[in-house]
Amino acid sequence: MMRETTCYLYDGSFEGLLTAIFEAFTCREQSIRIASEKGLQHNLLERYVTVETDLEKAKRVYRSILNKISRNALDNVYRVYLADREEDNAGIIFEYLKFGWKVGARVDSYLSDDRVLRVHKIRQRVDLEVHRMMGFVRFRLLQGGIYYAPIEPDNDILTLLAPHFSKRFADQSWVIHDVGRDRAALYNKKEWIIVDARLEKIPEADDSEQTYQELWKHFYNSVTIKERFNPGLHKRLLPKRYWRYLIEKDGIHGI
Amino acid sequence: MDIVVTNTLSKLDKLKILAEGAKYDVSCVSSGSSRKNTSGGLGDSFSGGICHSFTPDGRCISLLKVLLSNDCVFNCAYCVNRISNDVPRTTFKPEELADIVINFYRRNYIEGLFLSSAVYKNANYTMELLLRTLKLLREEYRFNGYIHVKAIPGASHELIEQAGRYADRMSVNIELPSNDSLKLLAPQKNKETILGPMSFISSMIRENRENMKKGKNAGYFVPAGQSTQLIVGATPDTDVKILKLSEALYRKYSLKRVFYSAYVPVSNHPALPRIDKPPLLREHRLYQADWLLRFYGFRADELLSPDRPNLNDFLDPKCDWALRNLHLFPVEINKCDYETLLRVPGIGLKSARRIVVARKRSSLDFEDIKKLGVVLKRAQYFITCRGKSYCKLKMNDQFIFQNLLLDGRTESTRHSAPAPEYEQLSFLLPARNGYGANELHSGGILVGGFANMIPQAEKFKSITGEL
Repeated sequence: MMRETTCYLYDGSFEGLLTAIFEAFTCREQSIRIASEKGLQHNLLERYVTVETDLEKAKRVYRSILNKISRNALDNVYRVYLADREEDNAGIIFEYLKFGWKVGARVDSYLSDDRVLRVHKIRQRVDLEVHRMMGFVRFRLLQGGIYYAPIEPDNDILTLLAPHFSKRFADQSWVIHDVGRDRAALYNKKEWIIVDARLEKIPEADDSEQTYQELWKHFYNSVTIKERFNPGLHKRLLPKRYWRYLIEKDGIHGI
Repeated sequence: MDIVVTNTLSKLDKLKILAEGAKYDVSCVSSGSSRKNTSGGLGDSFSGGICHSFTPDGRCISLLKVLLSNDCVFNCAYCVNRISNDVPRTTFKPEELADIVINFYRRNYIEGLFLSSAVYKNANYTMELLLRTLKLLREEYRFNGYIHVKAIPGASHELIEQAGRYADRMSVNIELPSNDSLKLLAPQKNKETILGPMSFISSMIRENRENMKKGKNAGYFVPAGQSTQLIVGATPDTDVKILKLSEALYRKYSLKRVFYSAYVPVSNHPALPRIDKPPLLREHRLYQADWLLRFYGFRADELLSPDRPNLNDFLDPKCDWALRNLHLFPVEINKCDYETLLRVPGIGLKSARRIVVARKRSSLDFEDIKKLGVVLKRAQYFITCRGKSYCKLKMNDQFIFQNLLLDGRTESTRHSAPAPEYEQLSFLLPARNGYGANELHSGGILVGGFANMIPQAEKFKSITGEL
C-alpha cells in the first residue's frame, strides 16, 4: 500500500505557521507537508493533522531562526509567508529552514541552491510590490480629516507598508484598506494597528478633495511627451492590475 | 523684496501650462537623500527613491515637476519657453505652488517637488522667487519631502548657496554638449554661466561634507548631490564628445547624474535639425554607456574614440566593446575577479555580486549562473564554466555579432530609458535599403554580409544626429 503523507494544517497566522514548523521538525516522520487551512484542497492520499497555534512553540522557532540562522533569514521567512497563498509557501519555508538549521547564517549565500533560490525569488516579488505600493497608494481626504486609501495588492503587505507611512505622514490620521483581504492599517498620529474589518460606510470626501484630484489628473496629462509614447513600457512599469485606485488612470470616480 | 505676479489664471490653468513647460526636463529622481521627519513636521525622504506613477511614455513620476514661471527673457532655439515662441505665459505665486505641493504630498501622489523656471525678468529675480518657495515649504509647512531645484544660470552665489540649504538636489543644465552649439542655439548662455554655478555648488557640497565629518553642526547642503542634463540630437556633437564630457563632469564636479534628453522637435529654427521622431535609440545607448562609466569601471575612451565617434546602433555598448576585445575572453566564471565579471556582456551588477558569493559555496555551471540572473544569450560567447564553454563552435566576432543581433529582437529593455519598439523590430525587416550601412555602423564592425538586417537608412539618419 502507498504510504500516506501527513499534512500539518495551521490556522493561517504567522504564529500558526511557526507552530506547525515546530511540530513537523520535531516529529520523526519523513514525508511531512505543511499547509494553511485557508484555501486547502483535500487530497485522499494525505492524512490531515490540525495544529493548534501555540505561542510558546512559535516563539521557540522564532528565536531559533534568529539565533541559529540569522535575522535576514527570519525576514525572508516572514516575507515569503506574506506572499500570495497560491503556491506551497509553507513547504518552501520549511525546506529553507531545514537547510538553514544545517548550515547556519551562511544559508543565504547558497544562491544556486533551489531551496534558497525559491525563497529569494518570492521575497524579491514581495519586496517589489512593497516598493511599488509605497508609490501607488493614493489617499483621499475624507470629511473629519482622515486620509483613506484603498489598495488591492497581490501580497498581504499591510504590515510592511504601515511603518513607512507612519513615518512619512506622522501628523495625519490615515487608513490603508486592503479591500481584497478585508483588512486595514489604521494610524492615529501616534501608532498604527492592523484590524480585520469590512469597511462599508466610508465617509464622504472632504470638499477640497475634488480640486486636488483634478489638478493631479491634469498634471499627469501635461507631463506626457506624446512623441515618446510607449504603451508597452508603460504597462510593464505600471501594471494594469494597479490602475483601479490610481486617480490619474481615471480609477473609481468620486468616492 | 516685493514680488508682483499677475494672477489672472486659475491654479489649474497655471499648473497645466507650467507642467507642460517643465516636462522636457528628464530627471525625476528622488533618491540619494534621507532627510528625516522632524517632530510635528510633514514627510521624509526615502533614500532609494520612489516612483509614484508612470506616464504613457514610460517615464517615472516621482516629483511634481513644474516651472515657477515660463515667462522667459531668453531665446534658446531648442526650448518651448523661448521668448519668440507664441505660448501662454504665467507665473506661480510661491503660496499657490506650496499649497499644491503639500496637498499632493499628503495624498501620496508625489515624493516632492522638482522646481525649475524660465528666466523671469532676470536671473537673480527668478532665483529669489525659487528660494522663497523653498523657504515657505521648509519653514512654514515644515516639509521634509524631496526638493530638487534648478540653479538659474547667472544668479548670484549667495542666492544659490541659500537655495542649497533648503534643497536635496540642485542642478544646472549643460543643455548642449559644446560651446559652439551653445553659441548657435542658446546665444544668451555660455560655458561660464553654466559651469560657474556647477563648480560653486560642487565645492559647497564638498565643504559641507567636511564640516559634517568634523562634527560641526553644518546642516544639510544639497545632500542628494547635483545633476545636469543635455540635449541629444539637436546639434552635430558626437557621442564621444558627450561621453567624454559626462566623464569629466563625474570626475571633476562629482555629479550624481548626467541626464540625456533626446531632442523633441519644438521649433522650426533654421539651425535645428528637422526630424520626425526624437532620437530615442541614441539616448538609450548613451544611458547604457553612462551606466558603464559609473558602475562598471569603464572609461569613455574604451568605448569610443575619435575615429569611432558614435555608439553602435545595433549592439549595446558593452557587447560592442567585448566584440572588439575578444582577446580578453573567454573568462572563467569560477575564477575571474569581480571587475572582470562586470565586463562580461549579460552580467550585471547584481549577477556579478551573486556569482562572487555563490561560487564560495560550490563551483558554478551554466545552469547555476542562469539562476543567478546571468543572461546566457549574451554571456555564453564570453565565458567558461569549470573550463567548458557553452558552444562547441569556433567563434569569431562576425559570428557572435550575427547571433547577438538575432537575439536582440526578443530582448526587452528593463532600463529606465525606453527602447523604442521600432528599434527592436527593424532588426529583422527584409532589406529595403542596405545603403548607408557602414556610415550608420559607427561601432567599427563591418556588417558586410548582414546587410539584410540593416533597417532603412532614413530611419536612423536622425539618430546619428547628422545635420
